[in-house]
Amino acid sequence: MPDTTLILHPDPGIPEFLIGQVQAKLAYLDESVEKAIISPDGTSLTLFLDSELPDSRRQEIKAKANHVLDAMVSGALKPRIKVLEDHLDRTVPYRKDPMPWLLEHGEVYEESPGMFSIGPLLTRLIAYFEGQLVDLAKTFDARPYRFPALISAKFLEQIDYFHSFPHSLTFASHLRQDLDLIERFSNEAHCSDEGLEVPPNSFAKVRALLSTAVCFHLYEALNHSKLKEPLCATAVGRCFRYEASNLSSLTRLWDFTMYEIIFVGPKDFVLENRETAGQRASKLYESWGLAYKVESANDPFFVGEFKKQAAFQSAFQLKYEVQAQLPYRENRLAIGSYNYHQDFFGRRMHISMPDESFANTGCIAFGLERLAFAFLAQYGFDQTVWPQAVREGVSCGI
Amino acid sequence: MAQQSDHYQTAVKSIMADAFNLPKEQLADDIAFGDIPQWDSLGHMDLLMALEQHFAFELDADLIAELTSIDAICRYLKEDQNA
Repeated sequence: MPDTTLILHPDPGIPEFLIGQVQAKLAYLDESVEKAIISPDGTSLTLFLDSELPDSRRQEIKAKANHVLDAMVSGALKPRIKVLEDHLDRTVPYRKDPMPWLLEHGEVYEESPGMFSIGPLLTRLIAYFEGQLVDLAKTFDARPYRFPALISAKFLEQIDYFHSFPHSLTFASHLRQDLDLIERFSNEAHCSDEGLEVPPNSFAKVRALLSTAVCFHLYEALNHSKLKEPLCATAVGRCFRYEASNLSSLTRLWDFTMYEIIFVGPKDFVLENRETAGQRASKLYESWGLAYKVESANDPFFVGEFKKQAAFQSAFQLKYEVQAQLPYRENRLAIGSYNYHQDFFGRRMHISMPDESFANTGCIAFGLERLAFAFLAQYGFDQTVWPQAVREGVSCGI
Repeated sequence: MAQQSDHYQTAVKSIMADAFNLPKEQLADDIAFGDIPQWDSLGHMDLLMALEQHFAFELDADLIAELTSIDAICRYLKEDQNA
């Protein structure tokens, strides 16, 4: 019987608060690893390989896994979890996974892992939630923006994104401007099981990537500017985060829609507005009948920076996540976040205030597909049991 | 007492210079988080981990948020090391 598993026994074990984070990173470990499972007590890690590998390859993969464990676990500080709201006990009527129904009724179509077309019901739900968030943005007199799906490589370099989140990048390129090369491409390009096969050196250097967050574009647009007064902006846009084998149904998409309300100004302005936006948003969640919790969290930094950045974010309470209950699997799904970046973007992009201090920034952000999915996971498809506000809001849409 | 403060400031500056890869002379006596590009979030954690190792105290979330200036660090070390 071929041995296609590799079992490690981390010493020290992986603490409970890190199991999810470590497991997420293991998806990027090696192309021969199909799945990684950490035991609930954190003392055992099983890697499932795509085939029986020679001992040298097994040792190589084991070394990579030990590197992840060493970088993320050894000396990791337990995060300080602050709960802002807890409405997980709110009664909701549905307990099934919505995906089978959505697939069966043509409400979602998976083009490839992490890429879904969505049908009328979800489209109407998303439009409703987005409309509610637009109304929320209006209470801040937020100025509307539209941003491109592409973002410059230069900007991402300026904000250290390549160090912090290299694993989630999606690159955009084009054929080099060379007639012979383009003709060769047109004759030879074809798709194999592994993807697009092209003649060597076809692609130009990457100068743009697919955007990973909406608010980045505002900070780029404000670079080297002095604000006369604090700014509140809002925008919706497509975001792209590659998640390897973590890509799963509508809960973890490669390509998703993010709605943001963004604050730029002095520290107090940003923090007060972030808090007020969270409070106003909680009234929306209530009208949507959501079972959810808001608690401090950290961004999914890559292995090398994870320990330090996560500890820093936790200590300064820079990020809170809105986590909706998924009754069918008895865990939670992050549908939004409230973020404070201190003056990181202000410094990196030279955005200053009238007193010459660097601008602070923050935002509240929502993943619209996740929000709609979480709602369906709690309320199902019988609209007569939906909360009145959602039922009426969706029926008023297109 | 003043001598003891000077002692901590000298030691902390030396560790800070290593952590930020800067000459000690470039570190102001009242330097704080964000005053120089090197003292950013990662620099802050590098510094605190180096201090933790040197002075043998246990870093936690409260200290990460509290020790954001050389004054705050020296004040804490003085209290912790003399406790």
